[in-house]
Amino acid sequence: MIHEYLIQLLTIISIYAIAVTSLNLTMGFTGLINLGHMVFFGIGAYASALLTLNGVPWYFAMLIAGILASVLGIAIAAITARLKGDYLAMVTLGLVFIAIAVSRNWISLTRGALGLPGVPDIIRNNFYYMVLCMSIAGICIFIFYKLINSQTGRVFQAIRDDETAAAVLGKNTYFYKIISMAVSTFFAAIAGSLLVHHINFIDPTIFDLEFLVVIVTILVAGGLASIKGSVISVFALLALSEAMRFVLVSPALIGPVREMMFEVILILILLFKPKGIFGKVDV
Amino acid sequence: MPQTSILPQLIINGLIAGAIYALAASGFSLVYYVVKFLNFAQGAIITFSAYMFFLFFSLLHLSYILSGILSIMSSILLIIIVNVIVYKPLRKRKATNVVLMISSLALLIFSSSFVLAIFGSTTKIISSKNFNRTYDFGIFTITAIQTTIILSTLILFFILFLVLKKTKLGKAMRALADNKEAAQVVGINPERIYAYTFLIASVLGSIAGILIGLEQNLYPRMGVPLIVKGFISAVVGGVNSVPGAVIGGFFIGLAENLGIWFLPSGYKDVVSFAVLLLFLLIKPYGILGVKARDT
Repeated sequence: MIHEYLIQLLTIISIYAIAVTSLNLTMGFTGLINLGHMVFFGIGAYASALLTLNGVPWYFAMLIAGILASVLGIAIAAITARLKGDYLAMVTLGLVFIAIAVSRNWISLTRGALGLPGVPDIIRNNFYYMVLCMSIAGICIFIFYKLINSQTGRVFQAIRDDETAAAVLGKNTYFYKIISMAVSTFFAAIAGSLLVHHINFIDPTIFDLEFLVVIVTILVAGGLASIKGSVISVFALLALSEAMRFVLVSPALIGPVREMMFEVILILILLFKPKGIFGKVDV
Repeated sequence: MPQTSILPQLIINGLIAGAIYALAASGFSLVYYVVKFLNFAQGAIITFSAYMFFLFFSLLHLSYILSGILSIMSSILLIIIVNVIVYKPLRKRKATNVVLMISSLALLIFSSSFVLAIFGSTTKIISSKNFNRTYDFGIFTITAIQTTIILSTLILFFILFLVLKKTKLGKAMRALADNKEAAQVVGINPERIYAYTFLIASVLGSIAGILIGLEQNLYPRMGVPLIVKGFISAVVGGVNSVPGAVIGGFFIGLAENLGIWFLPSGYKDVVSFAVLLLFLLIKPYGILGVKARDT
């Protein structure tokens, strides 16, 4: 029997792996600077929590959560498809603050800042839940591998490298950007859904920028446009972050020091190794 | 039907919020105009300066003029360090503006974690009797500090406008913003002008931090919502135009506060983002902005 602590850690690693690889699909492979990834993650978590609290079976709730996030992702991609770089980052970052404001103020649905406690477990046994999360992460990574090595995946990368050239070759770049966003947001919501059934609680802090910086750090450290890099980076950085728990004496400092660690790593990578460990393209 | 009697108070509140947003937006937009990237670390300057003022004024009991000067000087020192350690090497290796933006976002979140580790998560209040005196004009009330905010903001913007339009430095900044290569050809050193731009932006951010610290409370994440509002204001006003950012700030402040007429006050943020999305869809270059050559 694996130690309980290790089970928790592997569950979280699987969930982060889904979140990071799905962000890699838009940011790394398609070149869309999506800073609103955690919004889709959070929407998946909220949708799944609300549905299961009202008696919907978890697999059905997870599917609806994914579709809901995906629909929003498609809408955002459709609106922002003509914007590039800075402006896309601005709109998606704006989305984060809309999500915070709505989740805090739509009290009748989300109970505002109080959050939603008592989200039911999918499987009581933590070990089997870890196996479930790892399997879903495995399926998700397999789908991404297939997708990026397909013709569609090549168009994504062509859009990232030179959108005009891809358009000249007769590719409907607008359509492909929407596909990329739809797939990415679907899996972000699945990851959110898995997290909420693990910690059994959700509140508006899920949308906080700290969380986004953690995900972006893991992505950039692993390297953009490298699924292998993202997975290794999730293991390495989360293990490092857990190690902080044993190094620091004061428990009040663990939170801020862990956050600072991620931010410092992000800046150092951007400064000295912009391609990350396994990355193929510059940030 | 909402009451019309609260309208003057809402307009005054809108102007106060607008002045604060305009202060946050002006430094942000100045850096975008000259150095061409979204510098979210401007929010870190605001938080840092507010906490420095708290340290000097409330903890060390210095006079508020001295505390103000010391906070501004520490903010300048901070931006010089950030520029030398992070931004300059990134520019040297010709990093894209997205890389600079992500690193500035990391710096912003770093500042809030840092302040949290040093000062703790409890809300701090800078208390002073002089500033909380309230003037009642019948149709609206305003406190001394709020009057100070509006007046000093207007004076600052006038000085900023003069610097940009009349001085040699301002001309060099505009030349660099318009065409970097041509500016270099006529002997303008970009690194020097960038350093001055960050310096001016940090003074604006620092004053914003002090004024906000005096009017509201201090908490480690205070810079994040402020720079987001500053950024919305800058986009709405035209992110490539410093006067545009100022106008955008007042516009967003008024829109949010007049929105309370129809919506619960918690939806303030939604109002400003609705305005942002509307502008990005219909007029993506803002009220005064011009289309940038390279976006």
